[in-house]
Amino acid sequence: MDLGTLGQYIVNGMMLGMMYALVAVGFTLFFGVLNVIVFSHGDLLMVGAFTGFTVSLLFKYLGDDSTSFQIVVILIFSMSCMAALGALVAKYLVLPLKSAPPLMTLLITLMLGTILRESVRLFYPDGSNPKLFPALLPQTSYTFGNFSLRLDNVILLLTGLLIIVILHIIINKTTLGLAIRAVAQDEETARMMGINFNFIVFVTFAIGSGVAAFAGIMNGLYYNEINFGMGLMLGAIGFSAAIIGGLGNLYGAILGGFLFAGLQTIGAVALPFSSAYKDVFAFAAIIALMAWRPTGLIAEKVSERV
Amino acid sequence: MKSNNEAPHSLLLGLSSAVALLAYTAIFMVAETEAAIVAIIVFGCIAIFLLKRFGKLAQINLAFRTHQRIMHYAVMSGVLILAAIFYDSHYTLFLIATVILYLVACLGMNIQLGYAGVINFSVASFFGIGGYTAAVLTMQTGLPHLLIILAGGLVAAAVGSLLLLPVLRTSGHYAALVTIAFALLFKTFLEVNDSLGGPQGLQVAGMHLFGFEFNNNIVIGDVDISFYLPYVILSLILAIAAFTITKRLERSWIGLNMDAIRLDETAAACFGLSIPRWKIKAFTFGNFIIGIAGAVYGMMVGYIAPSNFTFGDSLILMSIVLLGGLGNPWGLVVATSIVIILPEKLQVIQEYRFLLYAIVVTLMLLYRPEGLVPRQLRCYIPGWRA
Amino acid sequence: MNATSEKFLVVEDVSKYFGGLAALKKLDLEINSGEILGLIGPNGSGKTTFFNVLTGIFKPTGGSIHFNGRDVTGLPPQSIYRAGIARTFQRSRMCLPLSIFDNIMIGNHIRLNHGIWYNLFRRKSFARDFVAQHREASELLEIFNPELAEHIFEAAGDFPMIDRRRMEICRALISRPRLLLLDEPSAGMTHDEMHQLMNDILKVRAGNPDLTIIIIEHEMNVIESITDHCVVLNFGEKICEGTYQEIASDRHVQEAYLGGSDIEDEPPGEPRDDEKEGEQWQTV
Repeated sequence: MDLGTLGQYIVNGMMLGMMYALVAVGFTLFFGVLNVIVFSHGDLLMVGAFTGFTVSLLFKYLGDDSTSFQIVVILIFSMSCMAALGALVAKYLVLPLKSAPPLMTLLITLMLGTILRESVRLFYPDGSNPKLFPALLPQTSYTFGNFSLRLDNVILLLTGLLIIVILHIIINKTTLGLAIRAVAQDEETARMMGINFNFIVFVTFAIGSGVAAFAGIMNGLYYNEINFGMGLMLGAIGFSAAIIGGLGNLYGAILGGFLFAGLQTIGAVALPFSSAYKDVFAFAAIIALMAWRPTGLIAEKVSERV
Repeated sequence: MKSNNEAPHSLLLGLSSAVALLAYTAIFMVAETEAAIVAIIVFGCIAIFLLKRFGKLAQINLAFRTHQRIMHYAVMSGVLILAAIFYDSHYTLFLIATVILYLVACLGMNIQLGYAGVINFSVASFFGIGGYTAAVLTMQTGLPHLLIILAGGLVAAAVGSLLLLPVLRTSGHYAALVTIAFALLFKTFLEVNDSLGGPQGLQVAGMHLFGFEFNNNIVIGDVDISFYLPYVILSLILAIAAFTITKRLERSWIGLNMDAIRLDETAAACFGLSIPRWKIKAFTFGNFIIGIAGAVYGMMVGYIAPSNFTFGDSLILMSIVLLGGLGNPWGLVVATSIVIILPEKLQVIQEYRFLLYAIVVTLMLLYRPEGLVPRQLRCYIPGWRA
Repeated sequence: MNATSEKFLVVEDVSKYFGGLAALKKLDLEINSGEILGLIGPNGSGKTTFFNVLTGIFKPTGGSIHFNGRDVTGLPPQSIYRAGIARTFQRSRMCLPLSIFDNIMIGNHIRLNHGIWYNLFRRKSFARDFVAQHREASELLEIFNPELAEHIFEAAGDFPMIDRRRMEICRALISRPRLLLLDEPSAGMTHDEMHQLMNDILKVRAGNPDLTIIIIEHEMNVIESITDHCVVLNFGEKICEGTYQEIASDRHVQEAYLGGSDIEDEPPGEPRDDEKEGEQWQTV
């Protein structure tokens, strides 16, 4: 394989890794504060993408051609909507089941994911067909021999990185982040220290969901297409990335996301006959990794009192 | 202690409710127009509401539990009578057989989820494995069909163990992930594999038992009996076997072990239970039953294609188990009937069924997590008193 | 060798570190068969961690444990149970949706037949076994609360905490263990209930004089009345050992309970010892 194609694979892998990492972050945050798997996360990403798409339709309707302004509006609107939706999910579906076995939360969020998916498919105009997401980023590309680097990819990667850095700052350098970490470590003690547990849960869900919305828009901009089923596979991948990184560990989730993308890329190169095989390969590799290191590459938080 | 007068009264109540249910189902199946069907559904809901209001529902429940043997026979006969009523209707008999086979699959899933707490997101995939096994074996080999059905179960069980073994020693969400990945990838894997028929799928030969070819209409004198009738009977036998085994399993030390694992792994371990061993036993046993149901289903339909075994189909089976009441086989009977038959008769909701089930299950999990027919306390020996 | 003074349980140099935190530091402990040992100490001193290490939930970071002549260091909980050690939990762990009988039978795992063929197809045999187990469980339960025995097929969750503690003790006793570990069994009970519980335990022991007991307690009356011997822990280390009278008058013990006289002697806030990030307990 020549350097140019290799370069393409690498860039593509990094894009995927970034997207997976952003989804995985949500899973890991939710597990951190509540010890629950929120399986609607992938589909919430999809709703975020569709929200952004609707905004772009509005822009088109208003005859507005501006791209950078449009993107900013799309991002802000979609991320805040999903943040709100995430908080609502926490309030009405997840927190009520707090004292039930975690299996119940997994099941109810699974159902929620189906509701979101089906609602878009059934009620969004022409929902069952893929939608063309506008190319709002500059389309220029720089060619180095065989390898062409697209500017929009670079921008997406950099903004993704920015989001991760912002997350890192929030979690590690702010009081809010401290409260989140306190709740993640020990709910009872955190409460006793005066932390408003419910509020922190809402905020965590809002953050995770907002980031998912960003990933959804990113997905739309990268592939120029969104469809109602995009959340399912992304959710499964994000979930496995979070697990392999160690549930509850932010950096593990990011690592897991890039790891999964890397495995997919290797699979695509090694088994070029069908794109399905790269997924089989990647999941199989992850499962093998889990069997080897059951608590994740970076350890999962231990939470049971005996 | 009940007085002597009450026992026959309770039996009468149980039997009459069985008869009423039979009549209701028959009328429901006959109804053609949507208006009629909606009316019948509304009538049913009102009836249930009134029964509950006047405490009759609890009495019927008690009747079912006290006279278990008789009620079992009553329900069995009810199904047979129903099949006899619709002896010439391909559509209705096919529907009944489908409900029964899905019930068998759900009984298998119930052992995994309801008893041992092992979550299986790829139920439909194992159902499909049973079908594919039947397809390959009926078309490529001359093995007797009963053996093929068994093989369907065994292959499903084997694949299941292979899937779960690597993650047995980890906690529940890893197993969930493995089954999710399997569910998502099963369909695509089949579609890209032409040796297994690709997206078109494979043909499955019809059931052939002791020289009797299931897939031909039975003619007795002037009467043409639908060829689905033997499938109904075969499915019913399978269902009875699965039901009996499930009940016995629950009413034994094995059932106790599974409950212990589901409810408190740490305590169970401290009292000698090997968590991985019992999880894999439950998972494998459940898949065995699911695979058998899938094999018979494949034979009945005549062909098998990847599009029938998606993640969404697994979710439907899961919603049946959650709706019916985790761990209660009778709840499964009710839930399977509703989930399978309703969209068939009420075509307008066909398109919306995933959405509807998801909403109903969400509401159930929030407000009535024990399901439609909640699981009762374990009764090791029915009718035994200290 | 004198059989009655043969050391039944020998805990040597056992340590348990969670990351950098020492929950147990080089603990030495010995019990004779038939003894009742009291394990006391302030909250967070490592008592429950010791139970967890002993029963295989945690692997010790160092040291060894010998039980009944056998090396059981680091064995999984299932093996510890089979060796004859049963326990109760500090936070009562009963399966609330299950019946009292079911809960007790969970403790009886080693004496039950779990074969598929037996359970599914030899129902008459099973029925006989069930009746026998029911009788035994009822008799055991009656010692602690005769009323409970009448409701043995009702859900455990229907009963108050005190009765659940009694059920939990029955669950631990039903398999006829050699060593019984009680973790704050009388928590939440009144004085009278506590004394009754201790009498009931002694009643059981009267029928089985070989039964050895380690009891974690905060109620000194209980410790005083039933233990032969006490060990006091503080910050994971043994600070005193002896009969109740001896340890009650020991200065170190008094300081540990009433607080250090110098502020410098007190370490900063003690994290809970059995819940640490980064440490995976032995997969059960």
